[in-house]
Amino acid sequence: MKLSDVVIGVSMTMLAVLISYLMVYGGLGPIASYSLRPLATSFLNYTYNPWNAVYSALSPEAVTAIVWDFRGLDTYFETSVLFIAIVGLVALFRGAGIAQGISSRGLSIIVKTSTKIVAPLILVAGASLAFHGHLSPGGGFQGGSFMAVAMVLIAITFSIEFLHQKGLSLSTLLTIRCVGLLAIAVVSVYLLIKAMLLGGSAYIFQNMIRMNSSYSMPSWFIDRPLGGTLFFFNLSESIAVIGGLTLGAILLLLREEELRAVIGGEERE
Amino acid sequence: MSDSLLLLFATIVVAFVINMAISLYGVFAKPSLVKKFIALTIFSDSINSFAILIGFRRTALGHPSIAVLPSPPQSSKDLEGFVKTAVDPLPQALVLTAIVIGLAVNMFLVGLIMLYRRYYGTTNIKKVRI
Amino acid sequence: MPMNELLPAIMAFVTALVSIVATWLAVQEKDLLAAVLFSALQSTCYALIYYLLMAPDIVLVYLPVSVGILPLITVILVKKTERYEE
Repeated sequence: MKLSDVVIGVSMTMLAVLISYLMVYGGLGPIASYSLRPLATSFLNYTYNPWNAVYSALSPEAVTAIVWDFRGLDTYFETSVLFIAIVGLVALFRGAGIAQGISSRGLSIIVKTSTKIVAPLILVAGASLAFHGHLSPGGGFQGGSFMAVAMVLIAITFSIEFLHQKGLSLSTLLTIRCVGLLAIAVVSVYLLIKAMLLGGSAYIFQNMIRMNSSYSMPSWFIDRPLGGTLFFFNLSESIAVIGGLTLGAILLLLREEELRAVIGGEERE
Repeated sequence: MSDSLLLLFATIVVAFVINMAISLYGVFAKPSLVKKFIALTIFSDSINSFAILIGFRRTALGHPSIAVLPSPPQSSKDLEGFVKTAVDPLPQALVLTAIVIGLAVNMFLVGLIMLYRRYYGTTNIKKVRI
Repeated sequence: MPMNELLPAIMAFVTALVSIVATWLAVQEKDLLAAVLFSALQSTCYALIYYLLMAPDIVLVYLPVSVGILPLITVILVKKTERYEE
């Protein structure tokens, strides 16, 4: 045991004791109280309120309404942070692409057969989560992450050269990501452009009728609530996430022969 | 109801604080970059857990429920009953954002560690003289 | 005390203790592949705790991110660098 390890251990123990002391005496606010904060009461009151529709988002799911309607700008910037990280990863490995001539056979036939059964099930489950995000727990990120896990599973058992032959190259995945972002941008300014063309006023990220504007996205679909922009945002976000996360994982899976010519150096055993 | 709920709470809070301390020790004291990365992900998960803990509530009778309406309410009385038992939804929305941003930064960090190894030949920071 | 109120408390107690043990083993272990597995075990325990704290949206984000994508890219990293630290 070196002296520096002991010193770090003792200071971490003091940190743990101080934070527990802080929490017991109410420094992080009341924990597990009997009443909610007023902001939370207001959000829960106005998430589905047809009697007060000027303030409401008309979707039964409170968390999705907060993420895409009441605090939609936070989510917009979080999506762009994920995009910037993917672009940074592409820039780190610039110049490297999937090589054409290397033929790789993937894993054994037992793994391939069980992946052929399991991967479509995971894809369908993820798509179902993305579709009903405004009615029950789910949404864009949840569905997109599930589908990205299935895509990376396919990329590992069959090889990444197989995916490249089937048409899923690095630039295709980046295009899918950009199409998702474009769909989010179009849905967010749709009511604003409609108001500019037809007269009246509207806001960016507007979902339902507000105080000064009478434009609204459809809030009911045949027999169940459709959350207006929430449904379209969930769909486009799932498309964007599946493109981005698959691209990131495939860039990290590239082989040494493809990268050596570009980056230099080599992997030493 | 209240003292068994208190037992649940105390153990969860103790687990989050101890995990935070152990993973922070792992970030500082271990010389390998990959071990530091694993400990960093555990640390950020524990910090997000504090935020989710703040949103929990207790109800006087019955159990708290999730922040989702099971069916469109027919009258204002249903809405009041929902507000009396539902959990705070705002910390959950903020932690959603935090988890996705953490994933973005961690993916970039893995790419950087790979290039570091290729340039210096090792991932042990004590063996590298810059 | 009726069982349906005591059972969530017992589940939370056991899961929290398992997560503390898993974190300690993940930080102490010299074989990095085993450390990744212990970290995934700790993430599973956290997902169960989030479900008991009534946050189902968080569980649906946390499971593919912390038990799917992150151990995957860490195992790729361990394969391309060294397996045993030091």
